[in-house]
Amino acid sequence: MRKIIILFALLCPLMAWAVRLPGFGERRYSLTAMGEYSYNTTWGHHGNIDVQALMPINQHFEMEAKLQFSTANVHTGVLQIRPKFELPVGEMFIETDLMYRAIARNKIGDIVAAVGVGYRMDHVSITIGSFCRVMDDWTRDWHSEDNYVVEPFNLLYRIEVFCRPQNNNWNLSFMFSNVDDYQMERMWQPLFSVGAWYDVTEHWRLNFGAQCKPTGMFHLDASFYGATARAGFSYRF
Amino acid sequence: MKKNILYIAMSAFLLASCASEDSTLDIAGMFSSNGEPVNTRFDQSIAYNATQPEIHLDMGSDTYTVYACSDSHATRQAHKNLDYFIEQYNAAPEPKLALHLGDLIDAQKNFACADSILNLANSHLFIAVGNHDLYFKQWSIYRDYFKTATYWFDTNNGGKKLDLFICLDSGDGTLGAKQTKWLRELLEQKSKEGYRRIIVFTHTHFWKLDESQGHTSNFGLEETYELASLFAQYGVEWVWSGHQHSRQSVIFRGVNYLVLDATQDKEKGQSYMTVDMGESAIYHYINYPSVASKE
Repeated sequence: MRKIIILFALLCPLMAWAVRLPGFGERRYSLTAMGEYSYNTTWGHHGNIDVQALMPINQHFEMEAKLQFSTANVHTGVLQIRPKFELPVGEMFIETDLMYRAIARNKIGDIVAAVGVGYRMDHVSITIGSFCRVMDDWTRDWHSEDNYVVEPFNLLYRIEVFCRPQNNNWNLSFMFSNVDDYQMERMWQPLFSVGAWYDVTEHWRLNFGAQCKPTGMFHLDASFYGATARAGFSYRF
Repeated sequence: MKKNILYIAMSAFLLASCASEDSTLDIAGMFSSNGEPVNTRFDQSIAYNATQPEIHLDMGSDTYTVYACSDSHATRQAHKNLDYFIEQYNAAPEPKLALHLGDLIDAQKNFACADSILNLANSHLFIAVGNHDLYFKQWSIYRDYFKTATYWFDTNNGGKKLDLFICLDSGDGTLGAKQTKWLRELLEQKSKEGYRRIIVFTHTHFWKLDESQGHTSNFGLEETYELASLFAQYGVEWVWSGHQHSRQSVIFRGVNYLVLDATQDKEKGQSYMTVDMGESAIYHYINYPSVASKE
């Protein structure tokens, strides 16, 4: 049995990611904790701890707060407010995100504000929108304007496909997007993610995820840049 | 059934067009490089550099001119602007040097033609590799002509150090782990040697401002943060690049990022750049005649 558990623990990070449609068909608060192993050619090997809180305020409104702490000395906070409207089939939602990424290793702050429109059903979720980014130098001289860069428009897209309906006790998803929980990349920088969940009990859910980040897609000579695997659990109140 | 046949026919057409020797787009390469990865190219470049003497250009003066162009996408049929750039460079008085910031050619079988044009330059000319130079597994051909994609050289006036130029291979939209380490070590060493200024030139641009939206991809964010920090830390004064085909100027943490217009014949708003290198560096974008005549 122990061997099976160890094998499962080793395989889990190879499985999945974003996998849940936060708040879709959900009326319960939930807390999620995840551990991540990540590698990219710039930061090398590093680990992350993620904490997320989902707060479905009422049937038309939900909030989500997310924090990530990384051994790469990059820390991220995200606040999402999501008005939603139930349709005969599925749900339409407006996603408004505010993300701050403290790149302490480089003394740079990255602030992103995003707005998008989405539609989600049991087997598919699509979001399209745009975001604005300001990269700010922590060591800035406040008399100078030369210490921040504004990227005023970036396209946001996220297409996620689920193998099972959302009320199933397990699921598997595949996502193609330029954003995930803790990063909002430029539009030509896609992220490929796979995710899974398994409801152990009514309250406890296991989450798994993996992501691949290439570089230079579409207009450059594409090659591997980084990968992440994560596993954790959610408690649904 | 008809639909399936249509899909198969379309896929076959797409594959055939990718595989064709005359294809202008390496669609497969845009999604997954089938050539040498950046770490391999870096190793080969450094191995070549080790066999060559260091390049120290004695300009004979504290002031000189740099001519720079990018994205010529030259083909055997279309290279008018690249010809013009070389003509202007040749007509300029010494001291001078020229840079090409990548995407020298478009598609395949065009290196010989482009190289013959660059060989007409009557003074120093240095080149960075671009993504189009790497498509269709063309790194080995690029290497036959230009030998290296990661290197540095400096200028001096009778032994008095002037400016350091560092060329980076960013054709994949990343420098890769090895080249980044090399860059850090080089900057750490050279920043203490009393250069007047340090200039980095490479193909891929760093920021996505208004002008660059919708056309080209660039470095991932992690690498953008890291390189911006590295350049600022070691006092790089200028970073010159191309790739997005439209000029752009950004100053971040004291580093001037300049992006050049394209030199490609069919592009709108083509220009090249001249930089008067003295105590300060003053740059000018100069339109190609086809643009000037429209204006």
